[in-house]
Amino acid sequence: MERWALVSGLRGDLDLYEQIQADIKKQRGAAHLFVLGDMISPDRNCDALLTRLRRPKRGDLQPNCIYGWWEEQLLVDYGYRGDQKAEVRSDPDGATTMHQLREAVSQEHINWLASLQFGFIELDCGLIHGSSADVGDPLKETTSPLILLDRLTRLDVNRLFTARSGQQFRLQLTGGQIQSKVKDPTGEQQREQAVPKRSVIGIGSGEKYTLYDPASDRVEFLSVAVRSRLSNLGFG
Amino acid sequence: MAHAVISCLHANLAAFEAVLDDIDQQGITTITCLGDLVGYGPQPNEVVELVQQRAIPTCQGCWDEDIIDGLNACECSYPSQLAERRGHQAHHWTADRLTDNNKAFLATLPITLRRDKLLFVHGSPNSQHEYLLPDMNAFAALERVETAGAETLFCGHTHQPYVRELSGGSIRVSVQQHGNGPATEQEMTLPMRRIVNAGSVGEPRHGTTKATYVVHDDNTGNVSIREVDYDVAKTCRAIVEAGLPDVFAWRLSHGFEYAERAEDASHVCER
Repeated sequence: MERWALVSGLRGDLDLYEQIQADIKKQRGAAHLFVLGDMISPDRNCDALLTRLRRPKRGDLQPNCIYGWWEEQLLVDYGYRGDQKAEVRSDPDGATTMHQLREAVSQEHINWLASLQFGFIELDCGLIHGSSADVGDPLKETTSPLILLDRLTRLDVNRLFTARSGQQFRLQLTGGQIQSKVKDPTGEQQREQAVPKRSVIGIGSGEKYTLYDPASDRVEFLSVAVRSRLSNLGFG
Repeated sequence: MAHAVISCLHANLAAFEAVLDDIDQQGITTITCLGDLVGYGPQPNEVVELVQQRAIPTCQGCWDEDIIDGLNACECSYPSQLAERRGHQAHHWTADRLTDNNKAFLATLPITLRRDKLLFVHGSPNSQHEYLLPDMNAFAALERVETAGAETLFCGHTHQPYVRELSGGSIRVSVQQHGNGPATEQEMTLPMRRIVNAGSVGEPRHGTTKATYVVHDDNTGNVSIREVDYDVAKTCRAIVEAGLPDVFAWRLSHGFEYAERAEDASHVCER
């Protein structure tokens, strides 16, 4: 079976995207590219990257994109999410950051960003920027296993790929149980529920990306050498 | 000290008065209400005013919220278009009749109430629209209580009273970090937590026509589910006379509900 390449946090960096595309081509069997959000950021103009994602060059692995936290901020601010207020605007420099974000993305891309999905379900895997609870939910290897299990349960998937934390990790639920006793007007019932064997995989962000082989369930964490990098503004 | 927890009054005055009588007869003076004062039933103003008169601390339910904010939920809890139409009819009927003062009161209701390690909500700590059914995944149920920082979670919304104890839990994990080094094994012991669903005063769905609520003893931790007879026919007549859908009276007289139960109870409404 063909492997998946999972990428996130490109933040408008076309150069980084090209390096990752080149690196993926060196990997044997990688045939599907998933970009799990944060294609944009206020750090730089993102139009060139967005254009490339929408209209890949010959030889590019076709990207399958979903929206991430930064896209959500922009779409909320443009009114695509009803009366919500962009989270970033609560920051002391939020107005400036949002102005920079609006400047970084041309209008021609907004409707495309708004058309992107919250996540993909592929085989028995969920591919999401944050989690099934929220696009900004930063799942980490230190997140309570109870919360991780809840996020898996909400999607009813065996593997949940997440990008929001920027970390690369694989946390497997390997065992455990819980007793549940329910008393209602008809009587009392007790049963034991076992922990299902499921995983949460942090795919990394920016130069860090992940390969996944659905046939063998093998995860490989990779990173490309970055030729240039701009400092970010503190919004991860 | 024993305290009573009531929920889902649904504008059913006869049921509410009967439950208050039952509580008073036990000498219980502390009552907490988990919302849904209105909707479906024929006496929304009377019920809201009685809650205010008795100064009962109350959370905002999904119906109370919708009356204030308008019908902007995703309607995920309606399994059919007919059910949705009836729900909308009841919403508009209630919104038309509820006084401005009573609407203002509903608007002031908090989403949660907390007393020490006891948390009171309408649906779940996540949403007034989420159903915590008794057969919900046990780990997910525990997550709702634990993430909210409670030891006992009181909820309503399902109209089915129950006490669920979640205990003896553990989760073992294996963590592989970047660098592809050896995985580390960890085990988390889960705390014992309880979910207490108060059922429904005004529209029971647990198999009988009796109004239900719960009594919790702070000292012993004991919870008893109370079932109270009331004049069901009186409320049914009032429903029909008010011009509300007859099916509301029919299902109240049978003590169950075919129509408006959520098809996918695990679904959380996203506005």
